[in-house]
Amino acid sequence: MGETNKQVPVTVLTGFLGAGKTTLLNRILTEQHGKKYAVIVNEFGEQGIDNDLVVDADEEVFEMNNGCICCTVRGDLIRILSGLMKRADKLDAIIVETTGLADPAPVAQTFFVDQDVADRTKLDAIVTVADAVHLSTQLSDHHEAEEQVAFADVVLLNKIDLVDESRLDAVKDRIKKINPFAKIIHTTKCGVSLSEILNLDAFNLKRILDTEPDFLTSDHDHEHDDDVTSLSFVSDTPLDMEKFQDWFSKLLQTKGQDILRTKGILDFKGENDRYVFQGVHMLMDASPMGKWPEGKERNSRLVFIGRNLESMNLKEGFENCKSA
Amino acid sequence: MKADSNKFPELNKTKFENRGKEFKLGIPVTNAITIGNSVAVGFGDGTVRIFRSGQISEVIKAHSGVVLSISKDGEDILTGGDDGRFLKISLDGEINEIANFGSRWVDHVTAYNGSLVCTSGNIVYLWMPNKKEPKLLEHESTIGGVAFDSKGRRLAVSRYGGVTLWKKDYSNKWSSSNLIWKGSHNKVIFSTDDRFLVTSMQENQLHFWRLKDKTDSFMSGYGAKVKSFAFVYDSKFLVTSGSNEAICWPFDGNGPEGRKPICLPYVGNKLVTFVEPFPNENAIFTGLSDGSVFLSEIEKSTNTIIIRSFTESEVTTIAVTEDCSSILIGDIGGNILWTSIWDEEEK
Repeated sequence: MGETNKQVPVTVLTGFLGAGKTTLLNRILTEQHGKKYAVIVNEFGEQGIDNDLVVDADEEVFEMNNGCICCTVRGDLIRILSGLMKRADKLDAIIVETTGLADPAPVAQTFFVDQDVADRTKLDAIVTVADAVHLSTQLSDHHEAEEQVAFADVVLLNKIDLVDESRLDAVKDRIKKINPFAKIIHTTKCGVSLSEILNLDAFNLKRILDTEPDFLTSDHDHEHDDDVTSLSFVSDTPLDMEKFQDWFSKLLQTKGQDILRTKGILDFKGENDRYVFQGVHMLMDASPMGKWPEGKERNSRLVFIGRNLESMNLKEGFENCKSA
Repeated sequence: MKADSNKFPELNKTKFENRGKEFKLGIPVTNAITIGNSVAVGFGDGTVRIFRSGQISEVIKAHSGVVLSISKDGEDILTGGDDGRFLKISLDGEINEIANFGSRWVDHVTAYNGSLVCTSGNIVYLWMPNKKEPKLLEHESTIGGVAFDSKGRRLAVSRYGGVTLWKKDYSNKWSSSNLIWKGSHNKVIFSTDDRFLVTSMQENQLHFWRLKDKTDSFMSGYGAKVKSFAFVYDSKFLVTSGSNEAICWPFDGNGPEGRKPICLPYVGNKLVTFVEPFPNENAIFTGLSDGSVFLSEIEKSTNTIIIRSFTESEVTTIAVTEDCSSILIGDIGGNILWTSIWDEEEK
């Protein structure tokens, strides 16, 4: 147990109703010949999924009694994944389709919190299908649409044939503002190479190093407090580990509900290793990931995606973590 | 077993392994039920195999997916599967489909004197004896477990937020009351004397209610989820998995509140994954995550013997025949040991 090669990858498909989730799902299922997939669908989903292993789920969000107020998990997912792991035939992957109005956080948190799920499966990536025509309106009208973009590792911007170039650029800017990490793929009718959405291992700390995301310090226009935005910080001065841990853990404890996702690569004074972390709300996966590569500049980079980030004094807090 | 650190137990087969039959089926064993002196075993490929003394096992192709739950109604086996089917299977292998829910799984099955129960999603389906149509008992969230009390008068249904306790009056009408505790409740059981109700939770702990006054409390301190737990024959102890020791809580008197459990340690310090009380004794069979199985007397922890050595696959089921003559052990790797408990001269 616990070995990566035995963990079945789980891809989470989010997106508003009508964006093209079912089209994408059917594309995955018809193109991957010889692979065995289980598909977990919600009862309000669109019909017509062509697979012999389709499981109905209820999207039950459970609170955990672990003193963490925003720690919610998908109870149905724990039950279904545990059941699927008892199967005699090995699954190549599991795909979870969420309802259009689902918050992806409980799905992601399930993989942090439930030991059985974490032992036998791994969250591969969150893929959000967005409708290029309607996304802007949906982002303004629904928290859930913002969260789906904020949590995405990949945004499949679909139906681009129905918008002109300037409108497409505007939608892309909006996505980038919410989530600078998500890879944006343009499609019509969800035509995408499956290698771009499956087996991404996006939640693996090693991948954060491999992909070297764009941690540019963001200049930040003032948005509505309620909008999801991102802020990132870079420091060439090594950080003081104790100060950072103190600041960061307090920050997540008090503001974890508004902080949706965090990622970072950190350079601590007196440490030879690079420290990498990524988190969902208050839950965090962090580890030293080996020495800094030779000839590469050492610096600390971190990014926050969330609401009300302006009010958290993040810049000041981060500056205070620099070693003297 | 006397610990001998210079010796690797897996190199030596136990006497139980030597005189029993071992099967390496390679299909995950999901559950088992004792029917008289036979044991019916459910597998991850949907098959059910019946083990009887002196006979080879028979394979019944019951479900197309996993056998998620197993129980019995008299001499018949009841199974629920991830193919959405609720089946009644005779020991001769005759299959009778009671219900089919399609892509919705049948998570739990149980029965009492001809009353058959299965759950799918948040609904309990209850077939009264000789009735064709089930009664539907609906709950606010997906059901984690079901259990009848020893008289079949009460049906406990665990779910998110607590347990719904259904009670049957003498005109066969069911009414419900709620036992509330925050969090997600999974498996539920009554104590054998019907005085207590115990659930396992999504967190690494158990919750219990004393039914006469509905007081409740929890049992915590586990390193893992408690998936297997059972009362010994007279309810003196609740034996539990979820730790590197078999944790046995005292349930005589007013229950475990304020009292310490007896912890039975095992060689190798592995996680206990399955516990099965020895019929009519204060003793348990304990299965570990490395496949080994021990028999211990609860109040004399030095009195422990090894039944099965390592298989490197976690024990998922242990079943003892009604006459206590044979034991079946199954694990996630599909290894089965079916052996007599006593030597010829010990009988």
